[in-house]
Order: sequence, then structure tokens, then C-alpha cells
Amino acid sequence: MTNSKPPRDFFSVRSHVGRVQGIISAIGIWAIFFGVWIVATSLGWVNELLVPSPQKVLTATHDLFVNRGFSSDVLVSVGRVFISFAMACTVAIPLGVAMGTFPSIEAIFAPFVSAWRYLPAPSFIPILLMWFGTGEAPKLALLFIGVIFFLITLVMDHTKNVRTELIETALTLGASRYVIILKVVFPAAFPDIVTAMRQMMAMAWTYLVIAEIVASTTGIGAMMMRARRFLKTDEILSGIIVIGVLGLLTDVLFRVLHRQLFPYIEVKH
Amino acid sequence: MSDTLLEVREVSKTFTLGSRKTLKAVENVSFGVEQNSICVLLGPSGCGKSTVLRMIAGLETATEGRVALGGKAVTGPGQDRGMVFQAYTSFDWLSVRKNVEFGMKVNNIDAAKRRERTNHFLNLVGLSKFADAYPSQLSGGMRQRVAIARTLANDPEVLLMDEPFGALDAETRWLMQELMIDVAEKTNTTMVIVTHDLEEAIFLADKIIFLSSHPGRVKEEIIPAFKAGKRIADKEHIIRMNGYSDLEEKLMRLMREEGHREN
Repeated sequence: MTNSKPPRDFFSVRSHVGRVQGIISAIGIWAIFFGVWIVATSLGWVNELLVPSPQKVLTATHDLFVNRGFSSDVLVSVGRVFISFAMACTVAIPLGVAMGTFPSIEAIFAPFVSAWRYLPAPSFIPILLMWFGTGEAPKLALLFIGVIFFLITLVMDHTKNVRTELIETALTLGASRYVIILKVVFPAAFPDIVTAMRQMMAMAWTYLVIAEIVASTTGIGAMMMRARRFLKTDEILSGIIVIGVLGLLTDVLFRVLHRQLFPYIEVKH
Repeated sequence: MSDTLLEVREVSKTFTLGSRKTLKAVENVSFGVEQNSICVLLGPSGCGKSTVLRMIAGLETATEGRVALGGKAVTGPGQDRGMVFQAYTSFDWLSVRKNVEFGMKVNNIDAAKRRERTNHFLNLVGLSKFADAYPSQLSGGMRQRVAIARTLANDPEVLLMDEPFGALDAETRWLMQELMIDVAEKTNTTMVIVTHDLEEAIFLADKIIFLSSHPGRVKEEIIPAFKAGKRIADKEHIIRMNGYSDLEEKLMRLMREEGHREN
């Protein structure tokens, strides 16, 4: 059976990539990445103080978690991301839906929100430190500011994309304004809102690391800055890998959540 | 077919485009729709037939004139005038059953009655087997059936349909048209249907209101006399009837006249 298939051209334009080819490609690129890294460090092509070998980074990661209480730093960081992200969602989702539904509300908040969106959140770090000191508050505030204005805009746009016919259908069925927002507009926009949350989560991680590197004694970023002082490049790289893995995990979590919440999107034939 | 249920009286609609330009879409349109009858609004594109339907639904307000249902002036959308659109309007996050129940739930019909009516109307449109499916699993024709069942289950005084089968392929469209005759016979629902499809108009209509274009005016009110006040259940039958082709030719000529005026 396989013999009868003509050999596929590797560079066929916009054709489907098979399962096996997909897996080989994905693993292959990582194998090359680590291969070059291992060869470069073991043959001494690079200064080992600046670029430690993958084995050393792995040992350092293990040591950090088992002997140095790194898991509490990780928990602190994860906690900061989730608390501030939850606060941002609590404000952004209702406000974004309201702005996308009522042009009058949009007229009030849209000019305000778009102006804030162009201000880089890290520019607030000095003033946040003066207002809130060095505790948890300035970090949470930075993440909140960094995420909320983009999230409001995305939620508003997704709400506006709800088709007018759906709203008009509900109106001719006798639905009130209140019912239309809660039972038609919100459920129709909800899958896209969850996707927007997933995208914004990546941004929350970015601001977290900035906050922890600039002004913190706890968390993954703070650990990395400590490691720098003692020239521990292997530990810095450990921190980067842990952040990457956590980001990937939250992304997977959101995708699973999306599939669980919206089974009707997956069942298309 | 005696009492007038719905009355459109000297209705005009002018849209404002930008700051100074206006567009007169509908001018001085009057007609009545009798209880339990099917009235078809026919005309070339741009004749304002959808605008007239939307004014009946209360989704647009008339600039002049008035629309009244059972003697009461229409001021906005409501449960008594259910509407089926050309675009799919199924609520994708709800099962077919919950879609059909939606209107009744909104209007506080108790659960037992809701269930009974839902089963009844799903059966009427032939979707009983798909009650627990999601709309995204259904074909286009089936989705329109869901919309029809959902609107009928909500017990409107009049069913408004805006080119409901325009997006469907030909044979599905025939099936749906036959279904509408069946529904009309079984439920005695009064219907106002907008279309630009001549065959559809002749097949469904007890009365055709032909609208001219730019602005939309009533050009002619036509009763398909060859049907002798009866409804014909299948399409093969009706095209062989005496008088069918004469009426089709007449409507074609009206359409063409309007088209020429346009170009």
C-alpha cells in the first residue's frame, strides 16, 4: 500500500504535513539545538563560565529544587501571576463586555483605555515602588497594569464581533436587554474571551519576570539576579527553563479549559 | 382567511447616510395580512422588502405611517412577532433542544410545558432525533429548521421570515418550502415571507405583495387565483397546474421591468 504512494515532495506548497513527519520535525529541531549546545561546550568552543553545558544546567536545576528551596520561589511567582491576572480579569471582562455592547460605555472608556495601552507598564516601576514599598503590592500592580488595558480592548472587540442577527433573534423571541447580554452576547463571545485570556497570560509572565528582576528578593526572577552576582550561569539558565516550562503548562491548561468549556466548537465535522 | 391580523398602513422609511445624505428605502407602503394566511413580499433586490419586514418585527422604526398587529401599534420587537433570518442564528453553545426552549424560557413558560412544546415542534420539523446535538453538527437546512421550531415554539401571532432559504442548496430549499406548507396547515400560523425567488413566492403565497425598487412601493397585490384558495403540498404538482406558468410569466415581467428601470 505504501509502495503505491508517490514520494512526497518536501517543499510542496501548502500541503498537509503527515503525523510522522510532524513528530520527526518537532523532535528534530530540538535535537539539533541540544546537539549543538552539547558539542560546543564539550569541545570548548565557548567559555564554559558563560555557557555551561546542558548537563550542568540540569544538575543545577535539580540542586535548586532539592537543596535550595527553589520550589517556594516558583510558588511565589506562580501566585503573583495568578492573583494579579485574576484581578485584571475581574475588571476587564465585565468592562470589556459592557463596552462592546453599549456604544455609550465605549465612548467613555475607549479613549481612556487606548491611551493607557500605549504606556509601557515597566515605566511605572519607580512610582509603584514609591507608592507601595517593596512588598507584594508593587509586583501585583505592575502585572495588573501590564495586562488589563490590552485585555479590556480584546474583550470589547470579541464582544462587538457577536453577530447582530443573534441579538435580533433574541429580541424577536421577547428577550430583555439583561437576558440578551447574559444569555446571548456573553456566551457567544466567551470562547474568544478565553482565547484572549490565554494570550494575555503570556504577557503576565513577561511582566512578572521584569518585576522580580528589578525589585524583589523572592521569586524566580530574584533567584536569577542572585545567581548573576555569584556568576552562576547554570542557575540563571535553570530559571529561564523553569519559566518556559511554566508558560507552556499554563498554555496547555488554557487549551484544556477551552476544550472542556466549549465542547460544541470541537465537534464540527 | 377573513380577519386582518397585521396591518401595514402608509409606511415610509428614510435612512440617514452620513451627515447630509438620506436614502428613501420604502415609500407609502400599505397592505394587510389576514389571519392564518401566508403573505409573500416579493421584489427585485433593493426594493426595501426586508426593511418592511424589519419594521413589522419592530427592529426598525417607520419614518412615517404605522404597523399594527391585531389593532395594536407595533413599537418595538416582541414575542408576538417571531423572526427567522437568512443567516444562521442558532445559539451554538446550546443543544438543539435548549435552542428551541430559549424563547419559552425567556417568557417564563413552566418546564413541563416547555418540554412538551419543544418535543412537538422538533417533531414537526423532523428533528426529534437531533434534540441533543449541537447546531454545529447540523447541516444548513437543519439549522434553519431549528430556527423555525424555536420561533414557532415561542407561540408568536405571526411568523416573519427574511429570505429564510436563500443560503440553502436547491433541493433542500424545495424540502423546506414544502415543510412550510405543512407547518402552515398544521399550526394555522400566519406568515410573512420575504423572497426574491419567483417559484418560492408562487408556491408559498396566499397573497403576493410585489414591491418596486428605489424606493420600495407596492406595485401590485396578487392573489394566485389558480390555487383556488387551497394550498398545494408538493412542488411537482403545482408547476403542472393550469395558471402556474401564466403567473410565473407575469411575475417575471414585473421583475424585468423593475430591473430595466434600475439599469
